[in-house]
Amino acid sequence: MGLGTGLHHLLNHPRFPVLETLGMLMPGEVFPAFFEMEMLQRALIAAVLVTVVAGLFGSYLMLRNLSLIGDGLAHVSFGGVAVGVTLGSVAPLWYALLFSSVASIVIYELQSRDIVAGDTSIAIFLTGMLAFGLVVLRLFGQGITTDIEGYLFGSLVLIDTDSLDLIVMICVIALLGLAVFHRGLLAITVDSVAARVQGLPVHLIGLWFSLTVAWVVVSMVQVIGALLVTALLITPAATGQLVGKSFRGCMMWTQVFGLTSTLLGLFLSAELNTGSGSMIALVAAMLFATVGILKLVSNQLPAFDASPESEEAQG
Amino acid sequence: MSMGEPIISVKDLKVQRGGAVVLEGVNLDIHEGDFVGLSGPNGSGKSTLLMTIIGELEPAGGSVKVYGARPGSKASQGRIAWVSQAAAQLPTNLRISVRELVDLGAMKPKNLSPFANSRLLDFIDTVLLGSLSYFVIGALSLVGIGRQEQRARVEKAIKLVGLEDVAERDVNRLSGGQKQRAVVARGLATEADVLILDEPLAGVDRASRDDFLRLLERLCKEEGKTLLMVTHDQTAIRQCTHCAICIDGNVQFDDDHTSAPAVLQVESLSIGATYPTSPWNEDAKEEV
Repeated sequence: MGLGTGLHHLLNHPRFPVLETLGMLMPGEVFPAFFEMEMLQRALIAAVLVTVVAGLFGSYLMLRNLSLIGDGLAHVSFGGVAVGVTLGSVAPLWYALLFSSVASIVIYELQSRDIVAGDTSIAIFLTGMLAFGLVVLRLFGQGITTDIEGYLFGSLVLIDTDSLDLIVMICVIALLGLAVFHRGLLAITVDSVAARVQGLPVHLIGLWFSLTVAWVVVSMVQVIGALLVTALLITPAATGQLVGKSFRGCMMWTQVFGLTSTLLGLFLSAELNTGSGSMIALVAAMLFATVGILKLVSNQLPAFDASPESEEAQG
Repeated sequence: MSMGEPIISVKDLKVQRGGAVVLEGVNLDIHEGDFVGLSGPNGSGKSTLLMTIIGELEPAGGSVKVYGARPGSKASQGRIAWVSQAAAQLPTNLRISVRELVDLGAMKPKNLSPFANSRLLDFIDTVLLGSLSYFVIGALSLVGIGRQEQRARVEKAIKLVGLEDVAERDVNRLSGGQKQRAVVARGLATEADVLILDEPLAGVDRASRDDFLRLLERLCKEEGKTLLMVTHDQTAIRQCTHCAICIDGNVQFDDDHTSAPAVLQVESLSIGATYPTSPWNEDAKEEV
């Protein structure tokens, strides 16, 4: 039994059926099904976990001016999925994992060795691998099927037990790594030269970060779609940054906005019968716009940031 | 004052960037407790010299030793701290409180190298043991072990630069002078003995500049720090115990780059760096 299945069982424990209990409290006609039907329960667990992890990593991505790397790696993942599907794999996410891992390392090395400046390598990989995927599908596969569309725009029905296992495993690995490296990561983000002089393994932390981001992106592809991953990676972090005063404060607000986007997005998509990925992305963007306008109007939201004591919960 | 072995020793240094020789024949000795001001026109190689001393650039000739070891090697790691032109360099979308920023300096990867002299072993050691020790220390700090001492260092550094009152404030919303103090505090939290400051006075108004210079002087005299500062500011230079000036020396051209910018030989550096600054400095000292 994988991590995901285990978590699913735990939340569905006969004695404490957490999800079902929550479901009774949920509004709407269709939305409570997310807490009751097994397939949708898996989708819900994946969506919530992925949102939490994406928000944490997105905050660093935004600061490192790598907002679009998520998008780039997602397109690479799509290339991997295309190859996997064409080869008849039942778990094409593993192909996505392989492709985006390699791409992330190559992109990182190209950037850190100043071979190609800034976003350029991302742009090349993004278009190159998307095109590769599409060509492979046309030549050897069955073209753009509903499944393939699901990987592009997100499809909750794709999240079977194997996917859930993989998604939860990636999230756990990412969170463990972040728990250890988060200060070092912040240090190299703020001033990499000072961090190197201080003796921190700057290159190593950077490499770990790139690789983990690639995995996180793969874990997001089924939930929100390869074309929309940035909506959960960057948008909540950008909204949080409008409100928070300290790094911890921003992280907290990022989680608030991320989880609101995901839950409200799932609710609206269930009730209005739209695509879940696109609705989540739309809600995230609307939240950003609302907070941004509010901030412009009031010029500063006073004392919105929690005190350090109450922030202890955030790692 | 300048006795014993120099902490930083630059001998006949030659540095190339992009094929062009930027520094040549540079000599510089810095001893414990020195406050060295490095000045000179734009493009004269001041920052290149600093970058070489902290190990970001490799010398093309001559040698640089920090505490007797190659810059960036394990033996010299953590003994110098880099204080960048921070006021201009913090990402604008970064929200970080003063305390959080200073805390980043308090991280210390342990010096575990038994192989400090071999480059290959040093590399393996850095990658394997370095990451391993980093992982272990990270994990320990998660459960709070060793954090007590780090927190104390952070508080001490914040107090030294006089930012206690704004410790919870967002660094990007501080004034230029306060921001610069915050970055100095980050350097102090590393407990390095040497602070290397790259144009710390850029974007700082006159009143804050004087405060800031008093702070540096105090760090030098009372905390026993050794300072090397690049600055254009003449007042700042007068505060230093020693000064070095990068000026146009013998103009040379690189063989392959006949149109390359002039090589600026830092002829006076070796002299300037080792003599206490000229009479003007004596006046300045009396005022203080």
